[in-house]
Amino acid sequence: MRYEVEVGGRTRQVALSRVGDAFAVTVDGREWRVDAARIDAQTLSLLVDSPWQNDTQAAANAATRRISWDVSIAPDLLGGLTVCVGATPVGVTLDSRRRRGRAADAGGTGPQRIVAPMPGKVVRVLVGPGDPVRARQPLVVVEAMKMENELRAARDGTVTEMHAREGTSVDAGALLVVIQ
Amino acid sequence: MESPNYSITQFGEVQYSHFVKKILIANRGEIAVRIIRACREMGVSPVAVYSDCDRSALHVRYADEAYAIGASAPRESYLCIDRIIAAARRSGADGVHPGYGFLAENHEFASAVRDAGLIFIGPTPDAIQTMGSKTAARSAARRAGVPVVPGTESALGADVPDAEIAAIAASVGYPLLVKAVAGGGGKGMRTVTAPADLAGAVRAARSEAGAAFGDSAVYVERQLVRPRHVEVQLLGDMHGTVLPFVERECSIQRRHQKVVEETPSRAVSPALRGAMTSAAAAVARAVGYTNAGTIEFLLEEDGRFHFLEMNTRLQVEHPITEMVTGVDLVRWQIRLARGERLDLDPAALVTPRGHAIECRIYAEDPDNNFLPSPGRIQHLRSPAGPGIRDDSGTAAGLDVPIFYDPLISKLAAWAEDRPSAVARMRRALSEYVISGIKTTVPFFSWLLGQPEFLEGRFHTTYLDDVLKTRKGRPFLEPSPDAEDVAAIAAALQAALSPGTLAQRAGAGGPPRRWRTQARAEGLR
Repeated sequence: MRYEVEVGGRTRQVALSRVGDAFAVTVDGREWRVDAARIDAQTLSLLVDSPWQNDTQAAANAATRRISWDVSIAPDLLGGLTVCVGATPVGVTLDSRRRRGRAADAGGTGPQRIVAPMPGKVVRVLVGPGDPVRARQPLVVVEAMKMENELRAARDGTVTEMHAREGTSVDAGALLVVIQ
Repeated sequence: MESPNYSITQFGEVQYSHFVKKILIANRGEIAVRIIRACREMGVSPVAVYSDCDRSALHVRYADEAYAIGASAPRESYLCIDRIIAAARRSGADGVHPGYGFLAENHEFASAVRDAGLIFIGPTPDAIQTMGSKTAARSAARRAGVPVVPGTESALGADVPDAEIAAIAASVGYPLLVKAVAGGGGKGMRTVTAPADLAGAVRAARSEAGAAFGDSAVYVERQLVRPRHVEVQLLGDMHGTVLPFVERECSIQRRHQKVVEETPSRAVSPALRGAMTSAAAAVARAVGYTNAGTIEFLLEEDGRFHFLEMNTRLQVEHPITEMVTGVDLVRWQIRLARGERLDLDPAALVTPRGHAIECRIYAEDPDNNFLPSPGRIQHLRSPAGPGIRDDSGTAAGLDVPIFYDPLISKLAAWAEDRPSAVARMRRALSEYVISGIKTTVPFFSWLLGQPEFLEGRFHTTYLDDVLKTRKGRPFLEPSPDAEDVAAIAAALQAALSPGTLAQRAGAGGPPRRWRTQARAEGLR
């Protein structure tokens, strides 16, 4: 089985095949033997044999190290997955599923679509259409969980659309601002 | 001091347990669970109340009885005095524990509980009212001979003209803070560095305080240079005994909210501890304080300390004091409410055994400006093992609602000294797996590696200052190995359970499964 997996802004080609009780896994041509135990619907225990590089000398050595990774996998709000490797969360997109919202912000081009990250109430709108904005400039203040939260621009640009109105309630994922 | 609403002298020691046999907990989340645990250990029956969105919450499931008190918004449930009293009456509870937040520092609630013939597990309504007003609390501290932060003596009501405030401000000196008299949690508070900004700051503080607390009175206080926030836990009985505990260091704050607490403080010598704990007890005695409370001080670099305010309730960070003294503060709150005598060894309470640290785990996205991250917890694995205490109010499968404080758990670590406690906390953070929502766990993993934290060199604005310099970089950057493992895991998960994954990664998640189920049942 082959998958396209995007991690940290880079797409990797991952191929899996069963070898006995384990899997032979290649990531962009590098191959590992992985013993995967299913703990529950969201949790995997992986035992991954080194070498991590294509080191034929070490591969030939029977005493390769077997690294234990505890991994949990859950969908995130943006349509991707959050994979916790130990306690470290890693954002992952599988195949063509696009991460909504933040994926557009992370790159350097295209419009920024600022969406409400949680349901709440718009308490202040700080910019309007046509306003130039700088990276990290506050745009809209949304109140949720007893706190006022500033939503900021990811990078410089000009506000082209403003959908937030002061005093209105918004759902998670609602489009508030577009910046070109 | 007011006498309790029953006589205790006619009873022997064993008969104290005749009082407060069933406690209604007027709170939710981790603190409700904490109080339920104390009740269970004392053979007291715990009663929960809950709002609409908390029907499945842990505190409801752990309690003996549970009563609905209204809609999810706090104003329609956890802040409704009448409904809480009605639930207490219906359950036959004879005591009410307010926890912290919500009605815990509302003297009208304490009075209403008392008027209903129930025992309020906390101080008297009078003590709550006096110490709840920042200006009244400051005069109480002055009367007890305890220094306060230089500032105005009395509240500046809405009718005080700007010119008069400007004159007062000039005598206090800049930089200064404009603070709401009824304030708390950083609301209704403004920093002013120059006279030109004063009038605007007073207006902003007044409007915020008016909206949040229904009282627009403010006062002016000098801003100290790089102070630490150090506080002293107290217990007081109804027989005039007030005992202070070893200090808690709470200088690690984000936007005036504590995020890490530890005890003892690296900045407090035994001599300074003696002075601070005596001062704290003196303030409490001056107002006839009973039950649990905390006196907050600002500590300057030269060792001078100033009374800041008193919290007339159990404090969020009480577990670390319990860990270094071995005293169960909630159990003592209940015993003191019954009228028992505080017979703890005073010297032992100010002699910490080892070191304890607490991290407040919030449902916030630290990599996205600490925005709230409510939602369903898909998977939860809590740390455990030696020296670790996780006071959690949630579980896998539960929602973190949008209506309340985003605190989901308090992770505390104890060890024989500070470096070992830090190492233990870092170990525990590495075990903490929470998926489905974002939490501040990665932020704490970062913070506990910072040299300033490790060396104990910090003050109340340290964290805000250092966060500004990071410009939003992620707190936990996965290693290349971890990225490879994440890619492998996502592919394996898809291969091992394609149906589940496709369903969950698409829009909807669990609700879609319910819909599918409902449709299937409808077709039968």
